[in-house]
Amino acid sequence: MNWQHVLLAMLPEHILLVGIVLLIGLELVSERPRGALGLALLTVAAATAAAALLAHQGYASAPFAGHFSVNPATLTAKAIVLALVLPTLLLSRDDFSETRFHLLLLSSVYGVCLLLSADSFLTMFLGLELMSLPVYVLVLLAFQRPDSAEAALKYLVLGGAATATFLMGVSLLYGGTGTLDLSAFTRALGSPNTMAQAAVVLVVVAFFLKAAIVPFHAWAPDAYEGASVPVTAYMATVIKAGVLLAAVRLFGTTPVGRPMADLLTVLPLASMVWGNLAAIRQTSFRRMIAYSSIAHAGYLFFAFLGAAPGRFQAVLFYILAYALMNLLAFASLPRGADDAASDRLSSLKGMYQRRPFAALMLGLAMLSLAGIPPLPGFIAKFLIFKNVIAAGYTAYAVVGLLGSYLGIYFYLRVIQYAFMSTDAVVEPASERRLALSASVLCLVPAVLVAVFPGWFIGQL
Amino acid sequence: MAELLNIIVWLPVAGMLAIALIPASQENMVRQVTLWLMILQFVLTAILYVNFDAGVAGLQFETRVPWIESWGVSYHIGLDGMNVLLVMLTAFLGPLVVAGAFSAITRDVKLFYAMVFFIQFAMMGTFVAQDLFLFYVFWETMLIPMFLIIGIWGGQRRIYATLKFVLYTAFGSILMLAALIYLVWSLQNATGTLSFAFADLYKVKLPVSTQTLLLGAFGLSFAIKVPMFPLHTWLPDAHVEAPTAGSVILAGVLLKMGTYGFMKLGFPLFPDATQVYTPLIMALAVISIVVGACLALVQTDIKKVIAYSSISHLGYVMLGLVSLDLLGIQGAIIQMVSHGLTAAGLFLLVGMVYERCHTRDIAAYGGLAKIMPVYSVFFAILTLAAVGLPTTSGFTGEFLVLLGAFNAAWPQHLAGSNFALVMAVTAVSGVVLGAMYMLWLAQRMLFGATRAPHLPITDLNLREKSILAILVVAVFWLGLFPQGAMQKTELAARQYQEMVAGRPAVQRAAEGAGAVATPVAATLGSTR
Repeated sequence: MNWQHVLLAMLPEHILLVGIVLLIGLELVSERPRGALGLALLTVAAATAAAALLAHQGYASAPFAGHFSVNPATLTAKAIVLALVLPTLLLSRDDFSETRFHLLLLSSVYGVCLLLSADSFLTMFLGLELMSLPVYVLVLLAFQRPDSAEAALKYLVLGGAATATFLMGVSLLYGGTGTLDLSAFTRALGSPNTMAQAAVVLVVVAFFLKAAIVPFHAWAPDAYEGASVPVTAYMATVIKAGVLLAAVRLFGTTPVGRPMADLLTVLPLASMVWGNLAAIRQTSFRRMIAYSSIAHAGYLFFAFLGAAPGRFQAVLFYILAYALMNLLAFASLPRGADDAASDRLSSLKGMYQRRPFAALMLGLAMLSLAGIPPLPGFIAKFLIFKNVIAAGYTAYAVVGLLGSYLGIYFYLRVIQYAFMSTDAVVEPASERRLALSASVLCLVPAVLVAVFPGWFIGQL
Repeated sequence: MAELLNIIVWLPVAGMLAIALIPASQENMVRQVTLWLMILQFVLTAILYVNFDAGVAGLQFETRVPWIESWGVSYHIGLDGMNVLLVMLTAFLGPLVVAGAFSAITRDVKLFYAMVFFIQFAMMGTFVAQDLFLFYVFWETMLIPMFLIIGIWGGQRRIYATLKFVLYTAFGSILMLAALIYLVWSLQNATGTLSFAFADLYKVKLPVSTQTLLLGAFGLSFAIKVPMFPLHTWLPDAHVEAPTAGSVILAGVLLKMGTYGFMKLGFPLFPDATQVYTPLIMALAVISIVVGACLALVQTDIKKVIAYSSISHLGYVMLGLVSLDLLGIQGAIIQMVSHGLTAAGLFLLVGMVYERCHTRDIAAYGGLAKIMPVYSVFFAILTLAAVGLPTTSGFTGEFLVLLGAFNAAWPQHLAGSNFALVMAVTAVSGVVLGAMYMLWLAQRMLFGATRAPHLPITDLNLREKSILAILVVAVFWLGLFPQGAMQKTELAARQYQEMVAGRPAVQRAAEGAGAVATPVAATLGSTR
């Protein structure tokens, strides 16, 4: 084991760890919350910079061979996911002043980083659990309404079920092959052996559970609604990114064959349709976003039908576009003392008259999530469906696109509330500086992605 | 000169940024800045139009810069005979739309003019794009400003109307998206080059069955936009609920995006399928003409009359395009511009009287000729132009289309097939019906006992007079001197004909083009 490689390859993780330790220390010696936020921001920014720098230098190594490895692609993914944490942290100012929040969030981010580099089921399991466990607490941390506890419990139970399913699948794989290497999965993909197939299905279902794919989605609307805004934003973006990128890693360079392709089409398609249809009926913004994220998980799993080399790129680019726009939407939301009231869609009425910039940002985010050009969401969707058609699954792509069409209506409804109603709701018009900086932090890269998509795709 | 075209396309974006910087309280400044930038755009476009060389067949003022290199997408724009008139029309209507909205729009003024700039950008981009990806981006982008224009500044049922508009249009587009990816992928499979350029995609040779599916997907999207019967139901709602400026943009330019799409992409990309389905498309075009006219006849809302008349008039464009006769094709292009001018004028007129009386019920008006003489003169002129009175632009367009339709139908008739001839004759009835509903509308509103919701009504002010006078001059210009415009479109029309009908243009030229075009029996006969 080369210590220099251990230090360098895990530099982003090490920086996060230092930050976590310092935060614990800070909590012991002082109660100044402002410092905690600054420290957390600094830590994540440094980790992002480290990952980006290493990726730029083309650094690749496997300090723990067979368990943990990095290459420029994974480092880029890490840099992107870490960068997405920055606006989330900026958003948290109003809800959380305790250091505990930052501590838990950074621990979860550490888990995501581990997940993105996992080469064995052991590391993957560690990453998944480290990512999820702090979030169960985070959902409960804001405890503003009685439903929060219920939501957290639901999330915990279903998350536990996902873990159990995953472990069951892995143990079957281990029993069959005697190895914990991820390649056991790809080999089982093509195997006619019943046990291997059962293992594959179990592992995939675990990922569907974590990514909230229909019919394993029921926890998401409750958890998203019960959690506070920054935690919902975190779940909808970073967690989803972690799960999907881990799934890409799991499938590796194997092309998806026929029976598997059907499983990877039917359930994600059901997610698109159901997510988009159920979102129409919601009156709570976060519940609506939950259903939207169920539909988007569906599009993301469609990317797996594409040829293996383009899969990682398509998923990562989609996540970048999707997460930026989700965070932009969360940063623009009105925030009041009564969380349940300000979460209602009707509280957006007349928003343009009160806060024009925030309303425009919200509109932009909704249009992008709906996949309307020239916004990043369109280019990301285009990339996925281009790969699916190029892989020969034209019929699936048409059905998928039709599924995405169902989603246009409820995004437009948000714009309708924000721009088109004349009966304005009285809301104290307070521009929150940190939320504003969070929206700028999302807007600038989003515009760059829309104008120079070629450059971004080239980097991934 | 290529830079000039880029400036024209991007000027509206600069305009959006400029008015974003003006404080919201300075509403008049916003209006003035918008107006002058639109006038600048028109002047620049006019310079380009004058410099457009009618003797060159391909693209002019072309810019081609790689945009998404790994996908073969480039920022590729240029003018040719097909889009030059439509670009001119878009730039021409821009300042009139802005000036026409000065007194009507009082809410969220800044956002309104930003959206007008935005839609101007999207429409210009759609017309000049020479890359399928770029075209699609502009085509879809157009939904955003139109959604807001109808939804924010529209009438009572604006939300319903705007959602219907967006959901109809987006449904077509989503299938077009799948089809265009498939098309590009087929090109890559066949030749190994990954490209979205129109010029490359024209070369793809696909089996007729595939072409049919792809034409169906593209055609659905375009037919919704035109709109063709039976996909027209969004149009009356959108028109009635939209503010005047929205209706003018919608009728003036947006609908032409559909017919332009057929002419530039739908038919030339899939010529074999087009030939197979020519009778169906022709029938739908004629049904649009007749049904649109009949529906216009029974409306009680002025805007609805004009909305349904648009369906009828655009039916002529489609008829001209599928006639595959040179005159018919050129007539279709002229008809697009002509309808853009007359429909824009009529919607502006409705808006002007609506601002004064707040009703669009035909029965509420009467004898306006006595109390609003200037208004009535303009109303009469534009009505006659819409009807197709000789010397106005409407005549040139409809006459050429019908001539083209008969030219194409006659050889078929001689060969024993009467379908095309029946279609052409039926289409003529649209002219009669058109005269009925428009003249009846004018009669009820302008003559008879003086009647209006509010009396007295003031006649048009200087701003309104100037807007209408400019439009009327354009209507007569295109009616009296269509040669200039026709020359600029001739080579493109030939090219289109050759691409769809598969007959070399040189051969046609040798047969003596110019006057009455020779029969295209060879091509249309093969569809039987």
